Amino acid sequence: MAPSVLYHCPCLSTSSVPPPPHLPSSSYSFHPLNTLFFCEECDAVRCNQCVSVEVSSYYCPNCLFEVPSASVRAEKNRCARNCFMCPNCRNTLAAVPADPPESSDGRISGSVNEGPYILYCNHCRWDSVEIGITFEKPTGLAAQLQKFEDSAPDSLEFDRLKEHFDAFLRQSALAASTTAAASAALARDIPGVGKYNPLARSTNNRGYGKDKSVNRDEMTEYRSRSEISQAAGGGELDVELMNGLEEVDEVASLDQRWESSWVSSMQTKDLKPIRIPLHSKRSKRCPACTHILIKPEQKSQSVRYKIKLVASNYLPGIVVVLPHVRQAKEELLKRNLGKSVSAQAEEPSVGMVAGRSYEFQLNLTNPLYDPIEVRLSVQRVHVSTAPAKEGVSPEKAKRPPFAISLPTTKFPISPFAEAWEYEDDEDMFGVEDDELGIGPTSATVKTTKDKDGRARPKTVGVLERKANKTVVGGEIVIGKEAQGSVKFNMLVSYTYRSDDPAPSESGDMDGHNARAPEIKTFSFYTVVDLGPIIPREEVKLDL
Amino acid sequence: MAGTALSTEPPILYSKSEFIETDTGNKVSRRATIAGPQNIILGGKTIISSGAIIRGDLRRTGPGHAVVISLGRYCLVGEGCIMRPPYKTYRGNFNYYPMKIGDHVHIGSNTVVEAATIGSHVEIGKNCVIGKFTFIKDCAKIADNTVIPPNTVIPALSHFAGSPGRFVEDLPESTQDNVEAHTKGYYARFQPG
Repeated sequence: MAPSVLYHCPCLSTSSVPPPPHLPSSSYSFHPLNTLFFCEECDAVRCNQCVSVEVSSYYCPNCLFEVPSASVRAEKNRCARNCFMCPNCRNTLAAVPADPPESSDGRISGSVNEGPYILYCNHCRWDSVEIGITFEKPTGLAAQLQKFEDSAPDSLEFDRLKEHFDAFLRQSALAASTTAAASAALARDIPGVGKYNPLARSTNNRGYGKDKSVNRDEMTEYRSRSEISQAAGGGELDVELMNGLEEVDEVASLDQRWESSWVSSMQTKDLKPIRIPLHSKRSKRCPACTHILIKPEQKSQSVRYKIKLVASNYLPGIVVVLPHVRQAKEELLKRNLGKSVSAQAEEPSVGMVAGRSYEFQLNLTNPLYDPIEVRLSVQRVHVSTAPAKEGVSPEKAKRPPFAISLPTTKFPISPFAEAWEYEDDEDMFGVEDDELGIGPTSATVKTTKDKDGRARPKTVGVLERKANKTVVGGEIVIGKEAQGSVKFNMLVSYTYRSDDPAPSESGDMDGHNARAPEIKTFSFYTVVDLGPIIPREEVKLDL
Repeated sequence: MAGTALSTEPPILYSKSEFIETDTGNKVSRRATIAGPQNIILGGKTIISSGAIIRGDLRRTGPGHAVVISLGRYCLVGEGCIMRPPYKTYRGNFNYYPMKIGDHVHIGSNTVVEAATIGSHVEIGKNCVIGKFTFIKDCAKIADNTVIPPNTVIPALSHFAGSPGRFVEDLPESTQDNVEAHTKGYYARFQPG
């Protein structure tokens, strides 16, 4: 499992502190950065679960035809043209001319054959001859099948239901001749008269209304067209079918049968091709301020957006790397140089062993056009039940005990700019803690040269800076009896100077650009997952 | 250019003698089999790995110069890939159709591609089979080991997997930027070593 960093979305909850990561339910609130949005009005992160979604347009995933919303309802959310799905393998069907009887070549014969057309699946080789559907022309297949569909039992039943409820609704609409506004006005003026809510009336067939209500009766009872007990399939018929089975494949799988809303025959040879359901393009809004976050373009296959407020344009991206894993991979690469992919040696599973300490590196990328100063801090996990020390008993140690050390001071990250602007920045280093810096070399991991008696490379602190990325190192010490995976919440807060004059300072009309730089701070939580811990017992077994 | 990469983004090394670099930045492996190179267009900064087979010789009958396969910029054709233009027999005539691939397309290793059109920012996994006359629109992602039957249409921003390839999910809106950064970063890290 590669180490990863996921971002927390508070999802409109009042506390912005995320749940501790050892709880399994916490994975609900953490998302990868590329799925998150950012609302500029509320200055908050939004995720796919809390945004409100509206459909912007519909299209067929096969013919890519954009269906206007009016026809969508008429066609029951399916493609009205020639798009069908194979009932066997769910692949799209092609309309091909049927085999001429005397030819023994493949499907597409040489002669121009205007004969009947059939549907053919080019993956599982199912064709519609098996159920006896052929067409006269290769276009307008949906229209040709229309009469079959209309006479299907479920659509007849649906029409009957619609007629029944239509009559009922028309009746209730007549009774609801007063509008909601008028009744609200009445309720204000005359105390004691309840508000007349037309919505509540039509769904409830008991007379719930106060005054102004004509006591509408219950609905007339509905008699369905066919009794359920006599519906196709089920009961004795099924038993006979099973008795006469020769191959398991003759019975349609559940997957193939539950698409339709009506009980259908259980045999695979009775499965009908399905019209392809439409896909939609969605636009998303912030739940709090209803600002539009995502608004796609009208063209169904265009990938551009009119409005695109994604979080990766506002929040710094964080990638976590474990250097010892990477070094193992590099050695592997060097050994594999020149070999093909299939001949490469297998990667050894390198992980973190309990009882040791490892360093990890965080690579932060600044997406803004202004430099930012970032401060990281690890959230302390309060585990009230288990004692928070090493060597805790295994069944309580759902939270593996480990200690994280991160640089605590702020560090800057350069702004995002074009590549050619970065010539000066390449060899910049930050000097942190008490360690003395090294002379300018290429951007590699520095090693301190025993200036203060320590031969260890500097691991905690800012390691390198290049362009708009900064690498920060941290260390983790894993307890001896630790198990599970290493996950910790990290609070990232950054400040940036925004050059835009705030609206309240609009009186500041100088000749030059009104640079009233206000320092804005934003903070968000992330969960850093460094991967599973290899318990020490396993390592001992290898020896 | 070596040595200026960040330590968290290691270079992807290749042996210098193996790749030919053109003046537009394309890096073509000498061990790739390129048939009919005069009919193949590479957009620039495209990497063709060793063992890839690109059939530019299967061209449509007809006079004049025909482009059989065209690739965009920052593309990557993985090792052992086979790229063959699709063919059809229509009304008695057998013909090959040109294959157009957009920019920022990464094709995984050992994949067989016979699609007619691949859009931009598409990511195709390894060991896939893309059937003939498939249309893959922009920013699609095809998982590893997928078999896409012929004449499939893969809409934009979709994730397909399985055999036959089925729609799995819609990709997030920032996919185009991510794929672009990934392909550009890959090319920048692809260095002789």
